[in-house]
This record gives sequence, C-alpha cells and structure tokens, in this order.
Amino acid sequence: MTATSPTATDPTATRPVRVASAPRPAPRIRVNRLVLYTALVAITGLFLGPFGWLVISGLKTPAELAASPVHWLPEHIQWHNFADAYRLIDFLGYARNSLVIALIYATLVTLSSAWVGFGFARLEAPGKKTLFAILLGSMMLPQMITLLPTYLIFAKLGMVDTYWPWVLWGLSSAPYLVFLFRQFFAGLPRELEEAAIVDGCGWSGIFWRIFLPQSWPVLSASFVIAFTWTWGDYIAPQLLLSTDRTTLAVAVMSTYVTSAGTPVTNLQAAASVMYVVPILLIFLVAQRGFVAGTATTGLK
Amino acid sequence: MTVDQMTPLADRRGSAPAAGRAGSRRHTSVVTRRHRAFYMFAAPWIIGFALLTVAPMAYALWLSFTTFDGISPNWHYVGLGNYRELFSDAQTWRSLGRTGLFAITSVPLSIVAGLGLAVLVNRPLKARGLFRTLLYLPAVVPPVGAGIAFKQLFDQNSGAANGVLNLFGIDALGWLADPYARYVLIMTVLWTAGNIMIISLAGLQDIPRELLEAARIDGASAWRSFRSVTVPLLSPVLLFQTVTGVIASVQTIMPLLLAPDPTPAGITALPQSTYLYMMHVFAEYFAFGRYGYASALLWVLFVLILVATGLIFRATSGVVFYNVDPEAKK
Repeated sequence: MTATSPTATDPTATRPVRVASAPRPAPRIRVNRLVLYTALVAITGLFLGPFGWLVISGLKTPAELAASPVHWLPEHIQWHNFADAYRLIDFLGYARNSLVIALIYATLVTLSSAWVGFGFARLEAPGKKTLFAILLGSMMLPQMITLLPTYLIFAKLGMVDTYWPWVLWGLSSAPYLVFLFRQFFAGLPRELEEAAIVDGCGWSGIFWRIFLPQSWPVLSASFVIAFTWTWGDYIAPQLLLSTDRTTLAVAVMSTYVTSAGTPVTNLQAAASVMYVVPILLIFLVAQRGFVAGTATTGLK
Repeated sequence: MTVDQMTPLADRRGSAPAAGRAGSRRHTSVVTRRHRAFYMFAAPWIIGFALLTVAPMAYALWLSFTTFDGISPNWHYVGLGNYRELFSDAQTWRSLGRTGLFAITSVPLSIVAGLGLAVLVNRPLKARGLFRTLLYLPAVVPPVGAGIAFKQLFDQNSGAANGVLNLFGIDALGWLADPYARYVLIMTVLWTAGNIMIISLAGLQDIPRELLEAARIDGASAWRSFRSVTVPLLSPVLLFQTVTGVIASVQTIMPLLLAPDPTPAGITALPQSTYLYMMHVFAEYFAFGRYGYASALLWVLFVLILVATGLIFRATSGVVFYNVDPEAKK
C-alpha cells in the first residue's frame, strides 16, 4: 500500500515498484472480491425479494396474511391455494385469451417488422432518411396518449371486444422491432442478394427466400419480446375487451373477490405467480435474444 | 459491441446508393424498381403509423375542442374551453407537479443504479452471467405481477417491509397510503434497473480497452478514469436512457396497480402522492366520462413531452459525445 503513492506521477517508476510489491496486491484483491460478491449477492437478494415474497404470500392462509405483526413463513404450506386460485375464476379461459392475442400479435408484428426492417436496411428511395427519423422518433411517442382516442375509434368501427386491434397493431409493425431487424439485415453481406438479382428474383422473393431464413436469431428474439409485451399488457385489454374475453393480466388484477366483494389476497398472490412464471421461463430460455434486443436498441 | 457495429453499418449504408447509381447508368428501371420496392416494404409501417398513431392523435385533437362524453348526443364544439378549464384546474397543476417530481427523482436514481450494477457485473467474476440474468429478471416481470408483488411486500399488516421495521422496533408504516406511497412508486422503478444495466453493459463493453489502459498509465484513479473516460463514452447511452425513462415515467400505470381498488372508479381514490398526471387523465376519462376534456389533457401532455425531450437534448448537446470512428470518415 505504501508503494503505490510514489509511482503515481512517474510512469517509469511503476514497473520496478510493482514487481517489488507483487505479493502484496494479491490478498487485497481477494478482500475486494469478497466485498464484491457479498454486495452482489445482497443486491440480487433484494431484487428477487419481491417475487419471493409473492410466492410466500401465495402459500399462506388468509388469517396468516392478515396477521400483524408479520408471519414470515406459512405454518402449513397451502399448496392448494394454487388449485383454488385456478378454480375460483375461469383461469384457463383467461390464460387462453392472453395466449391467443399474444400469439396473434407476436407472429404478425415479427413478420411485419422484419419486412419493414428489410426495406430500411437494404433498399434506397427518396425520403427514406426522413421516414427513418420519424420511425425512430415514434419510438419515443407515449403510447398512452394514442391509446384512449384509439379506443374511441375502434369502438366506432365495432372492433371493441374483438381481437382485431391486435391484428392491426401486429400488421403495422413496431418501431423497436423494425430497428432490431434493420440492424441485423444491414449487417449481412451484399453478395447475398446480388446473385438473386442477376437471376431476376424480385425483392419480396429475396426477402422471403434468402434473408428471412438467415434471421432465426432475430426472429425468435422479436417474437419473444412481442409475446412478453402482450402477455404483460394491462391497459389495452382492460380498455378493449369485456370481462369474458379479457386477458389474465386484467383478471388477476381485479377478479379475486369473494361473493361478498372482499378481495382474496392469498389466492391473488398465487394466481399472479402462475401468471408471471410463464414469462420468467420464456425469459430464462430466450435470455440471449432478450439481452441482444435490449442492448441493440439502447445504443441509439 | 454496439458502437463498433454501428460504424460498419453506416459504412455499408453509405455505399448502397453509390452502387445503385453505378447501376443506374445502364438500367434506369432497376433504380426505380428499387425505389418502388422500398415503399412496398415500408408500407405496413407507413400505413399503420398514419392510421394507428396520426389518426387517433388528430381525432383526440378534434375531441379536445368539444364536450364529447361518448354517451350524450348533445355534445358541442367549445373551442379552447377545455384548455382554459384545464389550466385553471388545480388538480392539473398538482398532478403535473407530482409527475415532474416523480420523473426527476426516479429517472436519475434508476440510471445511477443501472450503471452501478453494470459496472459491478462487468468485472471478471465467477457466475457473473447468473448475476446478470437474475438482476435483469425483474425487468421482464409484467407490471401487474410487479404491482401485486409490491402490494404484498408493503402491506401494512402482513408486508415484509414492515416486518423488517418491526425487527428494529419501528412501528408499522402505511406504505401504500400518503405520504409513503410515492417512495414505493420509486422503488418499483428502481426494481427494474436491470433494464438499464443491460444497455449500459453493452455500452461499457464498447469502450476501447486502450483508452482505459492509457488513463491508468497516466496515473488516473479508478474513479477518475470512470468519470473522465467511461461516463463520456457512455453518454449517448445515458442520454437515451434519460429520454426513454422520462417518457416511461410519465406513462406509468403503477399507482393504479398498487391501489387497493384497481378499477377505473378507484382511480379517484388513489393516495394523493401517487395521483400522477396520467391518473388525472384516467379519472376524467373513465370516472367522469369527459372524453373531450381528457383529450385536451392528453394533448397538453404530448406537447410537454416534446418540450421536455427537446430541452434534454439541447441541455446535453455539449456533454454527449458520439464515438465517431475516424476510420469511418474517409
């Protein structure tokens, strides 16, 4: 420790001093590592805490949940809460609704975003730069602001309580995903399309037959991201779908009440575990794609 | 990874029109076909943007000049009446102030937290992949799941937060009521800092190793090289985080999800400290059915967001460094 101060200003002096004190830094680094690991484990624990507590809450009896001061752990683990949560509402029906709109939206938006992204990556036309600037700018447009008037328009068109809005949103592509695909397609070599052009293949043929089959990593990342958005969305289904056709997100939030109208929080906790776990599993399986997606859009 | 990838991309884009022009000397039709092809590919987004973004906003602008409530047939045009009412409505100003305060506190805190986590998990550690995954995990938990989890955590009787306070002999707090609800709101934002961590991490890995080594040889301390090398090079990423963070915080529906009664009618009963501008919009819209007035509120918010992002870009224009690769310029 004493050896470090004189070296600060004179670079030529560093080498001999470092060598002389070589055995010393080793233990210091180990202590640092210990601090680092402890901090990381503590922070990770803090980050996983809310979810862990949700699971614990879902395994308690209503009396334990109401008890004050807190009961840290359930006395008898109430596994049946999960079955009860499943039975109290039409859980499967709501899950199916969530699944259907998430599949519709994720499939369509992935294809349409790949299609648009290909145009922005590989083709040229007057006005392309302006359009791309608008596309990137629209990523910053607050969605909530368009959602309420969109609801009124869809209501006029008779599309409330149908899945058409998700079809339309899917077909129109999403700026975030367009950007993801554009980045990927722009990175592919020019030779890929040249031979096809010489052979007289059209651009849509080039897209479907040459570029799309190359892009499995981005396709799957985009699909997973879009699926997660829709599965997690609360406001759009709340606005556009009736109580029977709505999604699990809305149902878990608002339907766990007894016939007297009092909320059943332990079952709600169990239900929200069942609602969140599929997304966590998808994330754990597809985390590479997730991370790549998030990281690429952040550089803008 | 990110900045490195950008440069070759920019390069390639630069060469693409040149190739097109070279071809055009021989077959003009190839170029026009290519132009037409671009519009064919961009069409889904152009049409979708026009119909699903521009049209609703224009419709909302028209409604904001009316007393439309969705039911009554006797609605009429009131000109700037809604806007005049809105600016004299104390609730508008109060909820706007709360939203501003929420953005000013939660955005910097979560950026600092995210950057701090990124620096931690960027070190050569064992199992750092696992740490990265686990820290990012809350960012993918759907808002409804997060809302219910935080409601359980901060429940006055059975919540773990008050349980911990009790261990230290502190009385239980009403976390989800005034004045503490606002802190819970900020904690829900900090909980998802993994999102910022991942983006910052990608930025950190882009910083040329030579620059940090040069700083070390010059005798810079770890903190000094972080401040003078890492932060400036990360500044575009941090700017992006600030802008998207502000926009997200303005739109948060977390107060609704933390509320005891998540129905539209329950919006009006939210704790005052979490009654953000968007909650005010929802209340006017759902609870009072004043679509015209709510549309005016939305348009004011939209303009404010434009102004705020403009100001952020302008204020940071001198501090944000874009890492332009000199190789790419030739």
